[in-house]
Amino acid sequence: MDFAFTEEQEFFRQTVRDTIDRMIMPKVQELDEGEEFSFELWHEFAKLGYLGIRHPEEYGGMNIDVISQMIFYEELFRGDVGFAMTVTMQILMGTYFIGRFGTEEIKQKVLVPAIKGEKIGTICFTEDQSGSDLAGTRTTTVLEGDEWVINGTKMWITNAPTCNFCTVLTTTDPSQGIKALNFFLVEEDMPGFSRGQQLKKLGSRSSVTGELVFDNVRVPKDYFLGEELGKGVQYAGEILNEVRVMTGLAACAIAKMAMDDAREYANRRIAFGNPISKYQLIRSKFANFWAWYESARWYCYRCAWMIQQGLPCLTECMLAKMFATEMCLSAVDEATRIYGGNAFAMEYPSQRYFRDARFLLYGGGCHEVLQDYLGRIYLKED
Amino acid sequence: MDILVLVKQVPDTKAIIRAQSDTELDIENKYSLNFFDEFAVEEALRIKEKLASGKVAVITLGSKKAVDALRRGIAMGADEAFQIEDPALEEIDGYATAKTLAKFIESQGYDVILCGKQAIDDDSGAVGPALAQFLGIPYLTSIVELKIAADKKEARAAREIEGGTEIVTCPLPALFTAQKGLNEPRIPQVAGVMKAMKAQIQKFDLKALGLSPEDVRPKTKILKFYPPGKRPPVKMIEEEFPKNVEVLVKILREQEKAI
Repeated sequence: MDFAFTEEQEFFRQTVRDTIDRMIMPKVQELDEGEEFSFELWHEFAKLGYLGIRHPEEYGGMNIDVISQMIFYEELFRGDVGFAMTVTMQILMGTYFIGRFGTEEIKQKVLVPAIKGEKIGTICFTEDQSGSDLAGTRTTTVLEGDEWVINGTKMWITNAPTCNFCTVLTTTDPSQGIKALNFFLVEEDMPGFSRGQQLKKLGSRSSVTGELVFDNVRVPKDYFLGEELGKGVQYAGEILNEVRVMTGLAACAIAKMAMDDAREYANRRIAFGNPISKYQLIRSKFANFWAWYESARWYCYRCAWMIQQGLPCLTECMLAKMFATEMCLSAVDEATRIYGGNAFAMEYPSQRYFRDARFLLYGGGCHEVLQDYLGRIYLKED
Repeated sequence: MDILVLVKQVPDTKAIIRAQSDTELDIENKYSLNFFDEFAVEEALRIKEKLASGKVAVITLGSKKAVDALRRGIAMGADEAFQIEDPALEEIDGYATAKTLAKFIESQGYDVILCGKQAIDDDSGAVGPALAQFLGIPYLTSIVELKIAADKKEARAAREIEGGTEIVTCPLPALFTAQKGLNEPRIPQVAGVMKAMKAQIQKFDLKALGLSPEDVRPKTKILKFYPPGKRPPVKMIEEEFPKNVEVLVKILREQEKAI
């Protein structure tokens, strides 16, 4: 067993951390309070080339290893969570199927500008009645001549108000459930594509989220993203492994930031004549957090390693996402308790971690659905 | 025009440092490129980009963690990196560092040598000037502006001095130490970071430079480290205005001797 990062990976982490510290950290509060997507920051960040880290070099990417990608996500989520969500949507979910199944023409038209940050992408899984339950997808696609015709509405779509293209999960036969799920590319200038309401959110407020409407959107035949029809759920499972580990490491990053801030506060805040860090009940919060944090973080990296090795790891990635998120939700709660009444004031950061962490519950599968599935697996039910 | 930048990996400003004994420090494992060296690397890259010719090299003395200073330089855009590593260089001072670097540079022939005005760990600011002395070339410290003449034979620099700025020229080759304000260091692009991760660092030991441990014996010795004194608690002045101003002035004058 080898749990060490390579020297190169450590250097990569340090460089990404430094970049986030300089470029994002000074703006975190402003971004959260602004509740708007910052195009200025987006373009500044895009120039550094990180949007292409998982794509091939011939399209302007860097094609780095999975563990280094996860290191990047972990460091990115130390900064503004909303901005990090937009960036990870672009790098991972928003361009995944285009990079994997797009024709050369599509890649030149969509992927290359996406890597440069000139076009913004997203993926559309969720609908008003389905999300973690993919079989409940009601958006349909029908083949008419040489074109696919898409009809439906997608909800809770990160980047919906700003996206230039999207990968849409639809069913080509609602009676077939998950066996008929497929992905299609849609561009913003296609007739019938429109944006619905933008949602006001509790946390990760500098990413914009909303509704996308597909009203008889006609896309060319080669905008179907896959090898053969009906494999959408399998493809979704493959990308969800990466999404879940990324979400788990995002949870670790948010938790660590919250507790590191709380540590400084605990060393500074005087009560009964001493800094509150001198009291055992406060210390126990840090000790407990530390143990859970290390466990969650290293389990996430084990899953990253499994993905990199090409090993099957669907349940492991679910466990990692669920465990890390629960650890984070506990940590951001404990951090607010350390801050006491000040946690209720918007001028202190602990309320922001508390709000931002909530998104982790839903991305990559809500925990009730994951628990039901994992419980069934453990019980060896059919 | 070939430029060499001296770089040093130092404890990060956020690292916790404790005096373990009189002469040993316990430093938390958080290191970064010396703050002032970043200005030096950036300036070297800007000169190269402006002239559209020449090479920028970075060099450091030290073992494993020192390599990250070189990688940072490459990530920013430097073309090559050199590491001088030798057991005899573990405990050295500015004099020995400068002497070792001089031996390396003598055989290379750089037009411009840049470094930070000081390293933020020992704050001695000795290596740059000492190196220039060993090489017999002019040096200008704490520069905030640098212009290379069109014929590449002369440089013109602005130096911050007490109450103003001094403009100085000198023939090249020369050494310059960088002060904050010289430029705004770039954030490395991921392509540079990847290049740095894979970069081959050229290593030299004392023997390869034709030096013996005796040649680099330090001239100074650290006798004792003292931690800084703890800051006293904040004292609130209870009186109302304008009496509180009077009390404040009295404290500043009589207790703190600040005015």
